[in-house]
Amino acid sequence: MIVANYLVAGFVFCAGLYTVLTRRNLIKIVMGLSLMEGSTYLLFISMAYRAGSTAPVLVSPPGGRTAHDLVRGNVADPVLQNFCLTAIVIGVAVTAVFLTIVVRVAQHYRTLDADKIRELRG
Amino acid sequence: MTTADEPGTRLRGEAVEAEPKHHVVVGMLLTAGVAVAFGAALLSLPRAHQQLSEVARYAMQVSLPSWNLTEPVNEVVYGTRGFDTFGETFLLLAAVISVVLLARPREPRTGYFGEDVAGEREQSEMEPAQQSPDAGEREARRAESAESDEESEQSEQSGESESSDDPAAVAAAPFPSKTSVEHRPKTPDNELVGGRGPERAEAMSIIVRGAVRTATPILAVTGCYLVAWGYSPGGGFPGGAVILGVLLLVYAGFGRKRVARVVQPKLMESIEMAGAGLIILTEALGLFRKGSFTANWLPLTPPQTIRSGGVVQLFSGGELVEVGTGLIIAVFALLAMSHDWARDKSADEDGGDDGGDANAEDRENEENASQATNAGGANQ
Repeated sequence: MIVANYLVAGFVFCAGLYTVLTRRNLIKIVMGLSLMEGSTYLLFISMAYRAGSTAPVLVSPPGGRTAHDLVRGNVADPVLQNFCLTAIVIGVAVTAVFLTIVVRVAQHYRTLDADKIRELRG
Repeated sequence: MTTADEPGTRLRGEAVEAEPKHHVVVGMLLTAGVAVAFGAALLSLPRAHQQLSEVARYAMQVSLPSWNLTEPVNEVVYGTRGFDTFGETFLLLAAVISVVLLARPREPRTGYFGEDVAGEREQSEMEPAQQSPDAGEREARRAESAESDEESEQSEQSGESESSDDPAAVAAAPFPSKTSVEHRPKTPDNELVGGRGPERAEAMSIIVRGAVRTATPILAVTGCYLVAWGYSPGGGFPGGAVILGVLLLVYAGFGRKRVARVVQPKLMESIEMAGAGLIILTEALGLFRKGSFTANWLPLTPPQTIRSGGVVQLFSGGELVEVGTGLIIAVFALLAMSHDWARDKSADEDGGDDGGDANAEDRENEENASQATNAGGANQ
């Protein structure tokens, strides 16, 4: 039932989206973006899953199988795991950028309320 | 929501404040729309019984024969799809640079030309209102410089004192914090248990510090192990993240000042650029020697040895440096962002003119040069 994982990933994404759209606190908006990032990690890892599979590691194959059996056999998708790995690092870096901007906004406008930061509206 | 509406809970929870939201209906509609679209898309995704994709099967087949690597994920990250990782590395670098740029403190002017002294008379004739720079602005700037000077001041007190320090000004500082700072032991380990704590949370208790001392060497070795033993799960990304974790633990346990001796921006940035250079060189040499970017140009050792991946391991090592220092720079730039002590304009009439501010800043810099020494107490 890996579909449940997919749907939970979709739900987490929507929770993040709703947070970004409706909250006014900038920190919470960043948290919403982090939720959206997190949902993609869950989705990647869930999509990499294969029923009855083993990890894509050829070091010590389970059950007396050789590495060559494993290559043709049933393993989790290594490409999606790769995507997840890189996405996490990018997520951290992007969150750092957002938080830096939030700190500067807070220092400049003396508020974290997105509705009070309307300088661009003239 | 429903419980908050009851009058009983409201009486008790005085601090409960309705959280400000906006565009709730629009947000709900948009989220619902996205949820429907996502639900439809997610339900039609390949499920657990699907065969592996072409790319994945290729990666599995190619991993052992042509890279001698028993870890296909590493082979995908640094080999087959190395170009993705390459681009992603520089995305990380761009993010780090933006953090550094945004977190950069106000820089003092390096050269003083004396133009505002020379033009003082004319200035006062033309605009008498601007004759005296804003007192609040001055104070704010002084506080800002005091905050950034604090570290250097402390190290000066423990070691040699700088010649530019005006001893009279230091002695004349009327604030008692100056002396308490001087008596503070060099390392938090020598601080008496139960004694008066330092004014700022510098270090945590000896239990935490002991735990940090025990855990960090193990963690640091683990981080390097993850990279070196690249034929089993690991690689540069997790390794770099672990290295960041080590420094964050030290930061939490011992305070920023002790970490700041190691995490010097110049040093970290140089190391990061060296890592980026190593990655570019590794990949470009594949192009020149083997005719394709990310191609392996190193001799392959037998599987399950440290160098078994050839160029993969080199890339992974470069990535460790890049990710480790990149995240360290970003996180510590964020943590060390100084207070912007600029005057709160909402207190006065709105909209101070920019010309006046610039003038005030010029005077500030002049002041900072002469009065930096007695600024220590300004952040009281």
